Amino acid sequence: MMDGLLQAFWAPLTETYFQKALIGGCAVALVSGVVGCLVVLRRMAFLGDALSHAMIAGVAGGYLVMKLLFGIEAHAPSMLLGSLIAAVLTVALIGLVSRVSRVKEDTAIGIMYTGVFALGVVVVSIFREYIHIDLMHFIMGDILGVADADLWVSVLVAALVLSVLVLFFRHFQLASFDPVMAASTGLPVLLLDYALTSCVSLVVVSAVSMVGVILVVGLLITPAATAYLLSDRLDRMMALAALFGVTSVIGGLYLCVWLDSAGGGAVMLFCTLQFLVVLVLAPRYGILARWLRLRRLVPQQVIEDVLITVLRQKKDTPLPVLQQFVQAPQHAMLPKALRQMEQEGLIGAAPDGYRLTEAGEKEAGQVLRAHRLWESYLTSIGTPPEAVHQTAHRMEHIRGNGTVDYLDEKLGKPQVDPHGQKIPPRQKNNHFNKP
Amino acid sequence: MDSKKVPAIEVRHLTVSYGARPALLDVSVTIEQDQLVGVIGPNGSGKSTFIKAILGFEKPDVGQILIGGEDVQNAKGKVAYVPQRGAVDWDFPITVKEVALMGRYQRIPWYRNASAADREAAMEALSMVRMTDFADRQIGQLSGGQQQRVFLARALAQGSDILLLDEPFAGVDAATERAILDVLERAKSAGKTLVVVHHDLTTAAEYFDNLILLKQRLYAYGPPSAVLHEELLSQVYEGRLRVFANLMAKEGAR
Repeated sequence: MMDGLLQAFWAPLTETYFQKALIGGCAVALVSGVVGCLVVLRRMAFLGDALSHAMIAGVAGGYLVMKLLFGIEAHAPSMLLGSLIAAVLTVALIGLVSRVSRVKEDTAIGIMYTGVFALGVVVVSIFREYIHIDLMHFIMGDILGVADADLWVSVLVAALVLSVLVLFFRHFQLASFDPVMAASTGLPVLLLDYALTSCVSLVVVSAVSMVGVILVVGLLITPAATAYLLSDRLDRMMALAALFGVTSVIGGLYLCVWLDSAGGGAVMLFCTLQFLVVLVLAPRYGILARWLRLRRLVPQQVIEDVLITVLRQKKDTPLPVLQQFVQAPQHAMLPKALRQMEQEGLIGAAPDGYRLTEAGEKEAGQVLRAHRLWESYLTSIGTPPEAVHQTAHRMEHIRGNGTVDYLDEKLGKPQVDPHGQKIPPRQKNNHFNKP
Repeated sequence: MDSKKVPAIEVRHLTVSYGARPALLDVSVTIEQDQLVGVIGPNGSGKSTFIKAILGFEKPDVGQILIGGEDVQNAKGKVAYVPQRGAVDWDFPITVKEVALMGRYQRIPWYRNASAADREAAMEALSMVRMTDFADRQIGQLSGGQQQRVFLARALAQGSDILLLDEPFAGVDAATERAILDVLERAKSAGKTLVVVHHDLTTAAEYFDNLILLKQRLYAYGPPSAVLHEELLSQVYEGRLRVFANLMAKEGAR
């Protein structure tokens, strides 16, 4: 059993294709995780998509030029250069269109990248005699068949882009967070924008040969988004994103070998699953944490019911009495509310039950004031007497935004409610108004 | 001290236009040091162009802006800018401490890390706005007034003598407004010059030493009693006269 497991992990590692895929994939994923953080925070995700699609025109162009001028087949460096040029041109065109026309940027991106992609597809199919580019390979990528040249490119790109991002971390951070302030201190914000776009282009170009045009955006933004859910600092987010990128490649590659599936697909699938797990489990920003927080939240209504019940009892109130008068949506809510109120210093435990503290008494007075003013108001608009108390009991919780003062004014500042009971005076800075 | 005599900001005959329409027309203002100055005017009156010009982002058609006697283009970083709350991404992964530290970035060469002295200066700025207890919080977890104070701390950490604030009182409650004003006044007594874009005419008189009333042209510049003048205001804010009537009544009662 152990042997089998060991074999499942070890056997692929002895294969050259797997080693190459691992090295190339990890290099690409590492750097795209880091640069992806800035892409995510600056809301440029769509741009990554655009760059990867635009590449095909560049690759075709580079191929064609070398083939027709020098007769060299599939010259990798010129194809790389071509795709970089195409990427930068596309970005410039997008900027131009969104600046000079009323077309907004997201639309401009959509128009330009599909246009350039289409140009690439048309060129490749017209010159199919000369260009031997497998469109499917381009679209889907082939991480298990990484060529040595691609491997070198990806490692070099990773080293270059990482160096730039680490060296100028502060500059990118400031320019992304507050570009106006950055510019006011003399930081070359526009230059940094171009530098970042170039970095993204480089990463995308080096990643396309492995995971393909369609999935490369995922590699760029999914690890970054995963890290975003876990971190409140940019440097940590980048480190985590790099880690998630690498684990997606490792996990995805094993998945692909074991299931005998497509490489790029397996990597992105693993990456997405990773995101989903974190989305559910993240300690602060996860769905589970959010749900628990909501569950733990004690409704203001329960607290106010407790206050007013204790106030009306005029003596220490034991738990059974509270259970009788306080309507809690769940059974466990009342003890939780009591604990919280004790912490906030509204009530204190006494031998015979709970009693109000000074702050609690003040607060209870305000709830009572709201209740009695609502009763007066309901009577004044002709609510039948038997319904007044019940309705007011529901309405007394509506106290925000000066509601109570409004009622008070409108009713001419009454001293007593319809039952002849005294309405407590208004108190400033009560508990409810605390920020 | 000789530097006392140099005005903090001097704007001379500034005209900035977008096409045929001038955003600012022949504006000349001299803001002396150690002042709390409010910039008021209706929407589209050129307030934001005025800010951008003082930050050196606008190319004037004609005119000159001097910051501490130096041309604005050579004075990058001399004016610390506090953005509007709406302009900030509050989900950005950054802590209070890091935002304050950003104020020091302009002094740190690119090849060096932030030094202990930089971190100390950032914490000092945070203590000036009473936010040290929140140093490790992510900025989105603060209340509106606290967020505003953190950005004030960043501006203070920049060490500039001139602070430019874009509507710091927008969307905060009265108590918070007080707290922010308190910090502004403390910054002023520490020798800073503060230029604040402000929307609320009813509080303008109370908050500022001097007011700049803009609507493309400079309509008035001086102490509030001279600027908040019914005739002037009705000229600048056409069609919103009711507000001023109330305001005038209040001013008169004082």
